[in-house]
Amino acid sequence: MSSVGKQSAAPDAVKKLVEITINGEVVTAEENSSLFNAVKLTGVELPAMCYHYSFSPFGSCGLCLVEVEGKKNNVRACTAKVLEGMVVSTGTDKMVEARKGAVEKHLKTHPLDCPVCDKDGQCELQDMAYDLEVYDIAEGKRKQIPEDTRSTVLDFNMERCILCGQCINVCKEVQLVDALCFYKKDKQKHVGAHGGEELYCEFCGDCLAVCPVGAIVSKFSKFTFKPWQLKKTETTCSFCSDGCSITLETTQKDIQVVTSELSYTSKFGFDVEPGDGHGGICVRGRFGFDYVMSNERLSQPITKINGKFEPVSWFNALMEIGKRLKSIKEVHGGKSIAALVSGRCTNESVYLFQRLMRSVLETNNIDTAARYGHMNSVLAMQEALKIGKGTVTHQELALSDAILIIGSNLTETNPITALRPKASMTEFGGKLMVADTSKTNMLNLATLPLQIGLNSESLFIQGLIKSVIEQEFVDSEFLENYPEAYDALKNAVALISESLITEQTGLEWEKITETAEALAHSKRGVLLWGEGIISKPGAYDNVLLLIDLALLTGLIRKEGAGLFPICEENNEQGAVDMGGVPEFLPGQIPFSSEEDRKRFSSTWHTTLPEPSADALGLTLPEIIEAAHRGEIHALYVVGENPLASLPAEMKVREALEKIDLIICQDPFLTETGEMADYVLPASVFAENEGSYTNVAGAVNRVSEAFDPRGEARPDWKIFTDLSKHLGHPIQYRSVEEIYQEIVKMVPGYFRGNKPIAQADNYLNKRFIENISDRYAVHSETSQSDPPTTLSLEQVLYHSGKLTTRDKQLMEIDSKTALKISEADAEALGGLVTGDPVNIKSDLGQLEVAVEVSENLPKGLVQFPLHFNDPPLKDLLKVEIDPLSKVIYFKKGSVTLERPANLDLKVIETKSETTEDSEPEAVKDEEAS
Amino acid sequence: MKKLLKRVFFVEILKALKLVFAHYFVKEVTLQYPHEKNIFPDTHRGALCLLKYESGEERCVGCDLCEAACPSNCITVVSAVEEKDHVVRRFATDFDIDITKCVFCGFCVEACPVNALGMTKMYEFSTPNKRDLIFDKTKLYDVGEKWYGQAKGYLVAHNQEGEDEIVSEYRYRFPSSRKPENVVETDG
Repeated sequence: MSSVGKQSAAPDAVKKLVEITINGEVVTAEENSSLFNAVKLTGVELPAMCYHYSFSPFGSCGLCLVEVEGKKNNVRACTAKVLEGMVVSTGTDKMVEARKGAVEKHLKTHPLDCPVCDKDGQCELQDMAYDLEVYDIAEGKRKQIPEDTRSTVLDFNMERCILCGQCINVCKEVQLVDALCFYKKDKQKHVGAHGGEELYCEFCGDCLAVCPVGAIVSKFSKFTFKPWQLKKTETTCSFCSDGCSITLETTQKDIQVVTSELSYTSKFGFDVEPGDGHGGICVRGRFGFDYVMSNERLSQPITKINGKFEPVSWFNALMEIGKRLKSIKEVHGGKSIAALVSGRCTNESVYLFQRLMRSVLETNNIDTAARYGHMNSVLAMQEALKIGKGTVTHQELALSDAILIIGSNLTETNPITALRPKASMTEFGGKLMVADTSKTNMLNLATLPLQIGLNSESLFIQGLIKSVIEQEFVDSEFLENYPEAYDALKNAVALISESLITEQTGLEWEKITETAEALAHSKRGVLLWGEGIISKPGAYDNVLLLIDLALLTGLIRKEGAGLFPICEENNEQGAVDMGGVPEFLPGQIPFSSEEDRKRFSSTWHTTLPEPSADALGLTLPEIIEAAHRGEIHALYVVGENPLASLPAEMKVREALEKIDLIICQDPFLTETGEMADYVLPASVFAENEGSYTNVAGAVNRVSEAFDPRGEARPDWKIFTDLSKHLGHPIQYRSVEEIYQEIVKMVPGYFRGNKPIAQADNYLNKRFIENISDRYAVHSETSQSDPPTTLSLEQVLYHSGKLTTRDKQLMEIDSKTALKISEADAEALGGLVTGDPVNIKSDLGQLEVAVEVSENLPKGLVQFPLHFNDPPLKDLLKVEIDPLSKVIYFKKGSVTLERPANLDLKVIETKSETTEDSEPEAVKDEEAS
Repeated sequence: MKKLLKRVFFVEILKALKLVFAHYFVKEVTLQYPHEKNIFPDTHRGALCLLKYESGEERCVGCDLCEAACPSNCITVVSAVEEKDHVVRRFATDFDIDITKCVFCGFCVEACPVNALGMTKMYEFSTPNKRDLIFDKTKLYDVGEKWYGQAKGYLVAHNQEGEDEIVSEYRYRFPSSRKPENVVETDG
């Protein structure tokens, strides 16, 4: 047992140990650490309600009392510091009586409405009263505070509150949000948002989880359950790529509440290693469970007859699909069949699906959602390091001493991963550097915030590399082993002028050198990048630049240091690892390797499609292009929705119309599903068995909480059944058998074996060959009036399109407003939040409400990518990466215009909705 | 000699006859069910029922303690939030008792913090359809209405409730929280 309790120093800092006596036993403890921890290490469990290992002690419950020799009063162990020669006794009668008194004090003001309290049965105050045998309570006194039900998510019942402060501390010290505080109203202490306002925060719900009593309750599950009614299933969250382990608490077929380790594991932190995280989850995981029980879910297979969907039995549906696929394969060949698989399917499903496609239907046209960005990271890292995933675990990220986050709004996209850099900064004394174009939450928190100019990411990274070389911070092993690469790099960066970098990025050169120095001198430095890098043209090269920087500063070589690419969906990494892309067989083995193809084909008892000279198989953009040409005759879509995801410029609808047979397998009837010939109802994560691979490459188990709704079936069952109708039965009796096959075919995958980076080949060859391209200075012609950049961004409260079907999350956030900077709002004649604005590009024009944000730079506007109403994505131009084939469609230039009649409207009435004024707007435009 | 006399005078038969004829004068025990019915004490544990306050408001708060106390797992409670006239309270949307499983131990009545459950003297459950023996919320309230006196008597006999409805120390009425609109009004 190493460390428990809140840290405040680097993990390798030297600590002074002293000897103290606890209950007659001499123990060594760290000086000035909490006495509570020292007592705990002797195996004595002190009762406590307000203590939690992941934040600093507060000392309000008065239960962890101990006697310290030489002190008259009882001492609260949690807030007391360990001092040399302390003599402590914990279990004396006097202490037991004092603790009893403390519980009685709490119970006197407690309403004792346990039967209608949601915490009943897992209430710490109840437990303490039973444990300490407090049965007779002297005349109690109610606080008479009405319940605060103003917030959308949480209800605050101050009658029940014991003022332990845990909710406030977890918010302030772990989440670094600081949304809650104590405030006084009517001479009574309340907990709530600052100033007693209505609470509007990230709604991570950690306060709900740590509340020992029922003072904070969730609106979405208020009064609907008692803990003894619920079945608990430990599984993995299905939203972002963090892969948090969550507990689904279910009755027959309904999820009642979602909890995490924070609610259950010992708050005393036994078996917790430094950097393990506090076990909390975010708003999506905690409150986004309603879609599982949605009435919109498909309950049986449907098929399109004369343009109308009719229900059909599973057997008939699969038989028909099998027949038609077989005939298409015979007539047009396997190459005319394409498949898309979602990054939300389990590893086992993806494995089985690609096996079905490759071995039975003999096509390699299979692609996944990683093609929207993450493939850049995977392919670039594969090329340079022969590893196609992050090289740092979550724990290592927290223990890192220098983290550079670039182009990632981590708190919005991956809120739980974001806690690790926060912990690294606040708990372990690490340096957090954040480079972003807008003032993201992380940037505001960072020790070194680096707000860079629009589209200057590559120059910024080049600047870092230049600085590392110029200041001679280069890793000695790199210098020794790859002198040629070093020389080439040195020559390349010498061509980039300092002034260009500082001008474009808008940073002082000192800041860049400071960042470079911090990375180069770090023991466990981590480079983290996300959306802002991978979904912008030039992403592949930018990732290579980041790898260059990591190689140069020795981050790849050092233990605990490395790269952390962020991907969007929960199993995007796993879908790539399981061969859901044309480039790779399972285990990221190149499909081009004949030897490996043979290995797989002998296991699968078939032949695999031969890759043609120019392409291994079609990727997502190529599938759509081929469909336009009429070369695709069948498309099997599993959980994907290209029609809603891709912008109008791709002409996905036209492409899909040309395909003879579309099979869509999804829990919901999606836009793509509406165009399909067969729609097969699939199960959702709560009904699935399998595993997800998270952003750090760790594999987490997914367990089944209840049977699928209606006639829905798990993916693997549909694939095995279909294979029978295709005349090549793939026989698995359970997910376990698929798992066993993956274990055999991809050794070490589930054990989380860390592959070793092999950069020799790259550094000696491709690195030098391509250096002039990578370090070419993109001298951007400075326009007098640069266009505004529209960026489709992920929002904290949503994940992909899936959560827009979740009533609860939509209740929390369904804002479809265009975020614009203050400067832009000013330039448009002083727009305020709620005003409409015309947004224009070559492809069209739309009106959308604006939200003025102080965090954006001039020239950048953002819109949540989850919503298609208004369809701003259709205004954006599409670019396809020549190397990684990634589709760039999330960022593009637009122009903003003030609607002509805006002033009139504001003067008339403020409450008038934009819809009402739309006809007027059109008229005015016509007139002008 | 004595033995011979006994045999001659049929003493044993006379004794038996005496016993038989004596019974003509003893009060009879057998009840002619269903024409006659037994009279039970107030503490009799018969059919379970749900009770309402005199105002007609449901007593049950859906706290599920009865389900937790039930040794034969025959009770299912589903609870939810009820909002009426700006008052938020917990109530049971479903309340099912599977009488086929019930062992009439009365634990649920004892566990109920609001005395919503009571036991009546009704014991005739025979039915041609087994499903009728799953008592749902409406049925339980019907029973409660029909045999209110008996259920009340049970609670009084078990010292869970007083004779008078107003007696509050036997029962806990939970504070219902009010919606913010009202709070503002009262504050102002």
